[in-house]
Amino acid sequence: MVRTHELVKEFSDPKKGAFRAVNEVSFVAQPGRILGLLGVNGAGKTTTLRMLSTMIRPTSGSAEIAGFDVLKDPTSVRANIGFMSTSTALYGRLTATEMIEYFGTLYDLSGSKLRERVQYVKDKLEIHEFADRLCDKLSTGQKQRVSIARTILHDPQVLFFDEPTAGLDVVASQTVMEFIEEERDHGKTIVFSTHIMSEVERLCDTVCIIHDGKVVHDGSVASMHEATGETRLEAAFLKLVGFQSNYRTEAQS
Amino acid sequence: MNALKVTRKELKEMFRDRRVRMAFLMPIFMVFMMIQLFGFIEGAATTAKLQTLYLVKSTNPAAAGLKTKNSPIIEIGSVSEGEAMIRSGKAGIVLELGPTPTSEHPQQVITAYFDPQKDTSQIALAGVDQLIRQQSRVALISTLRQHGIPEVAADPIQLKTHEVKVGTQGAGQIIVSLLPYMIVLFSFTGGASLSSDMVAGEKEKNTLETLLISPVSRTEIVLGKFLALATVCFGGCLTALLGLALAGASQAGSKSEMFKGGFGISPVSGLTILVLMVPLVAFFASILIAISSYAKNSREAQTYLALVNIVVILPAVFSQVIGFTDLGTKLWINFIPILNTANNIRNALLGRTDVLAVAITVGTSLVIAGIAIRVAIWLFNREEVLTRV
Repeated sequence: MVRTHELVKEFSDPKKGAFRAVNEVSFVAQPGRILGLLGVNGAGKTTTLRMLSTMIRPTSGSAEIAGFDVLKDPTSVRANIGFMSTSTALYGRLTATEMIEYFGTLYDLSGSKLRERVQYVKDKLEIHEFADRLCDKLSTGQKQRVSIARTILHDPQVLFFDEPTAGLDVVASQTVMEFIEEERDHGKTIVFSTHIMSEVERLCDTVCIIHDGKVVHDGSVASMHEATGETRLEAAFLKLVGFQSNYRTEAQS
Repeated sequence: MNALKVTRKELKEMFRDRRVRMAFLMPIFMVFMMIQLFGFIEGAATTAKLQTLYLVKSTNPAAAGLKTKNSPIIEIGSVSEGEAMIRSGKAGIVLELGPTPTSEHPQQVITAYFDPQKDTSQIALAGVDQLIRQQSRVALISTLRQHGIPEVAADPIQLKTHEVKVGTQGAGQIIVSLLPYMIVLFSFTGGASLSSDMVAGEKEKNTLETLLISPVSRTEIVLGKFLALATVCFGGCLTALLGLALAGASQAGSKSEMFKGGFGISPVSGLTILVLMVPLVAFFASILIAISSYAKNSREAQTYLALVNIVVILPAVFSQVIGFTDLGTKLWINFIPILNTANNIRNALLGRTDVLAVAITVGTSLVIAGIAIRVAIWLFNREEVLTRV
């Protein structure tokens, strides 16, 4: 389970001064379900996920991942999460197998357990064909499969996906989404950040919409339609984040 | 333990990088070539001293006295012809004998024409000067004998020299002045070429995120990277020594002069060099990691490293000329980073290892390395430094 309570992150910028990138964000993600973290670029989704993965510390508020507090026990949090995004890269001079094995050792896997898990992810994600190729030489789709393997190698209870399909073609995106569905079916808690509404409709059980660092909607996908009266999810999202088309405004005036 | 996992991975990746292979091969090649070059220069200087003398044609019997086994004499027609040969670079020195000495003018005058801006010309002049002084002395002794004056009157004051053995047999002078600088320099440059990739490069390529969300602590990550970089820095030092060993083993160059006293590195001096280098590479590696952690990207890191390179090179360069001063023997010099190591390596090569000086140097380098690694860890734990790109 993932539980955040009034999570705040302030940054200080020499030009802008202090500003809140995340402002009292609270939500709960349940095991066996996918929570969609939605928002436009710069809304605060990535900052929230970075706090939950203990990469950065919250300014205030609290968050609990798989029963561990992100501030009090960050090492246990990290041992129980998997984090994946299209921006996280692979080590170019390691082979796919070496890359997976390296992270396995960092998650304290060794000996037969490590070999077993590496074999499992390589089978599951069909990595054998390019397992001994340097990561620099892999295609985007192959890299994405290695990234997924790294994410699930230690069998984490909680998975974070930060725009995992951004920049991927339809086939690669399909692999990622199928994998997320499978992990949900295995009872994992999944937090999925995106702004692609078709993916939200397909994957998410609940959604948490963040805009300007604040939660503007938290509930089921159906509740987005109910709250806005819009039939299309994209329109409902735009309404919730207060978007108004310039063209429409001009036409009305 | 986790730090070692990071170290293993870093080394594996590093050795697949062409730059690392170059960082290991270059010192071998550079030291080898440098010693061959100095050997060649030394040989050329000797040749210049013994080069052909051009003598303006003369019936003076003294001309025969200028002939030696190693410096042939070629007669030319006139002074102007000789000057033209000097200008064209064909001759280094041209001699013109004055009139044959008489009882009224008993001194034999020899005029030497040479190019004061040409080193080989000056070396040849020095050679001729030495030859004439020897002949003058022989003539003086002969005159003294003729007048029944003891030969010793030619040398009313005699300077006797006696070499005092300090320490064990050391290396040749050129190696003593060259090697400390080379070892220090290659230890730094070996690591510097890679350090920009180690943290700044990981920020830029977005691989650092995956590492930060693993259960490995940030301190362990820094230590792991530090150990990998220190290994490469130390490798640079070892390969510089290997280059020296290869040059010593080769027959090329003026081996007898360059390796006066044998290979020049005794087991004690070799061990001293290694003991001195361990804290220095720790210092270099920690400084490099701190810079790489602070920089936003590889390019920014390289800019900082270029500046640090100068700071490292200056004391290393000074170590080459420290023998012209008495600073090398002062105790306080052992508190100056880099210079202290280079100076103690120099003393070790001379076979004059001072245990106290080595202990102070090792202690100083370790303290500075400790401070630098603390700074690197502090920077690595600052999220505003770590997450900025």
